[in-house]
Amino acid sequence: MTTQALLQVLASGLLMGLIYALIAVGLSLIFGLMDVVNFAHGEFLMTAMYVVFGLFLFTALDPVLFAPVAAAVLFCVGALAYLGIVRFAMRAKANQGMVQIFATFGLATLLQGAAQYFLTPDYRSIGNSWLGGKTLDLGGVFLPWPQMFGGLVSIAAFGGLYLLMSRTDFGKALEATREDQGAVALVGIDRNRVFALGWGLGAALVGLAGAVLAIFYYIHPQVGATFGLIAYVTVALGGFGSVFGALVAGVIVGLVEALTAAFLPPAMKSLGIFALYLGVVFIRPSGLFGKL
Amino acid sequence: MNRRELLLAGVSAAAAGSLAYPGTSRAQAPKEVTIGVIYPMSGASAQVGIDARNAFETALDIINNDHQLDLVAAKGAGLAALGGAKIRLVFADHQADPQKGRAEAERLITQEKVSAIIGCYQSSVSATVSAVTERYGVPFLCADSSSPSLQRRNMKFFFRPAAQDEMFSAAMFDFFDAQKKKGKKIDSVGLFFEDTIFGVDSSNTQRKLANDRGYKIAADVKYRTNSPSLTAEVQQLKSADPDVLMPSTYTTDAMLLVKTMAELGFKPKNLVAQASGFSEQVTYDAVGDKLKGAITRASFSLDLAAKRPFIKTVNDMFKARSTRDLNDNTSRQFMGLLLLAEAINRAGSLEGPKVRDALAATDIPGTSTIMPWARVKYGPDGQNPEASPVLLQYLGDKFVTIFPSEVAIADAIWPMNG
Repeated sequence: MTTQALLQVLASGLLMGLIYALIAVGLSLIFGLMDVVNFAHGEFLMTAMYVVFGLFLFTALDPVLFAPVAAAVLFCVGALAYLGIVRFAMRAKANQGMVQIFATFGLATLLQGAAQYFLTPDYRSIGNSWLGGKTLDLGGVFLPWPQMFGGLVSIAAFGGLYLLMSRTDFGKALEATREDQGAVALVGIDRNRVFALGWGLGAALVGLAGAVLAIFYYIHPQVGATFGLIAYVTVALGGFGSVFGALVAGVIVGLVEALTAAFLPPAMKSLGIFALYLGVVFIRPSGLFGKL
Repeated sequence: MNRRELLLAGVSAAAAGSLAYPGTSRAQAPKEVTIGVIYPMSGASAQVGIDARNAFETALDIINNDHQLDLVAAKGAGLAALGGAKIRLVFADHQADPQKGRAEAERLITQEKVSAIIGCYQSSVSATVSAVTERYGVPFLCADSSSPSLQRRNMKFFFRPAAQDEMFSAAMFDFFDAQKKKGKKIDSVGLFFEDTIFGVDSSNTQRKLANDRGYKIAADVKYRTNSPSLTAEVQQLKSADPDVLMPSTYTTDAMLLVKTMAELGFKPKNLVAQASGFSEQVTYDAVGDKLKGAITRASFSLDLAAKRPFIKTVNDMFKARSTRDLNDNTSRQFMGLLLLAEAINRAGSLEGPKVRDALAATDIPGTSTIMPWARVKYGPDGQNPEASPVLLQYLGDKFVTIFPSEVAIADAIWPMNG
């Protein structure tokens, strides 16, 4: 393999990894906040992609502009999912963990089914956009603009998230609720409100990722499954609940996947990711940056 | 009678009615013939199932109602030999999962008492479904799965009217040989195939043909289906830069492959596809601008309507249901059901072995079908060896037949990216 080909693989892996990180961080955030694994995370991604696709069809504006809209819509979807479903699942008297799993899993099936029924299972894609199909040629290493945009959005989102968590009252409330759900009530923090906002924030982040993906990936009701599984591995690798861990793990997953596909038969490209995951689970079950 | 008793009485009356029905219906001539249809109706290839449903319902209209077309099973309403019995279809969803396909086949045979099953698009699912039908002695009409290995299991109840990938791939290599004779340069091929039975069987055939006929295999890439990215895979194809890229991929991967090739600045000199994803209109809607000059094998071509006007009639009927033209898949599904109905009618019976014998005795000239086939006459393995395939080239807005020369209406543009 030439140096150029290797650089290409690394660059592609890095860009894809940043997008994986952005997909995973919302999942990690929600888990860290309230120990609930959202099995509808991939479907949130799918919803965001359809939101962007729909706006693109109706307004004919460039899909890049819709990233904030998708994030806002998904914020509402996430908050509603908490207020309408998860809040009640958490009140289960017995087997609370199972109830939460099945509640979010049911939500996933519902979203998939609704998308297939109302939007048809046809494969959609956004044809013309500012970034679509354009690449930057760096001496034979090709960097597609849509993925570069995705990488930049991801880095910006992580930066913003860091500031939000460390500099604002909401971030402090989030952190406090994460530490001790019971005690925050004593100092006047409304636990339900923080949870709803946390779900909104987590969903908004995956909404951003969906907006980015919609520019260069095909859209259909099952698209969430493709990325959902990778998101769970990323979160487990980085450590459940760790925002920084999701970033590092996303990049690692992207690079390992690209390198595995380059050196082993590509049909085994997931082998590298899952081998790495298995290793982490054995050696450090809490994940790279997990505090559990 | 209180509410509870009323409910019980209602339920038992309903149960008695439904139990009594099959007993009485066996005695007289059947009013309807039930056929099971197993397709992916949900999951990543759900659109295939939805298009298939439209194709089957078009065929059902033609069989159950009187249509004056020179087409198999079109004239007269219903099945004449069974007292004009109508066909009823029972649809089942296999979600592209061979195990779900197996379970649905069992259910259709034991609960719905189907006389035959038709399916299943994914070769991996057709493999398990045909194993079940064989066991119960119910005919399986394989409409559109093209893996050659399906017919090599000594099955008595398996029938495939359309070509399989050996025949399709042989046509591709015949075409390469013909191009070479004209002085075009084709030395190497690049295989790119997905990791289920369809891609693997297709690539095995192509690998063997390439070796036998002296083409170098510059790239041989097996990839994981429905991957989030194909960058590393395309990188390998790009470094190898074969004279012809030969993908065997379903729709999602076909779209991602073409997009990724464009992103990495790889323009294959030629692309000759094992249909599937490359015969779906959505692929061309999404990335058609990058596929001008791409060639795909096919069982069907709308060009043929110039010679057989009823093809246009059928296409219009299908289009009214689905807003699309018939394509490689839907044409085979449509034709499959007509051929099955014709055989059941000839059998004059709903019993599996009799329908099976009627299928085995089928001998229909290609001109009574909508396909470019020479004939429909199944071999001892259930394969119709005279289902002549064609190659189509995409010209930016439509497909034209470019091979074989008997049915071609234009010369191939070769190379596609010079």
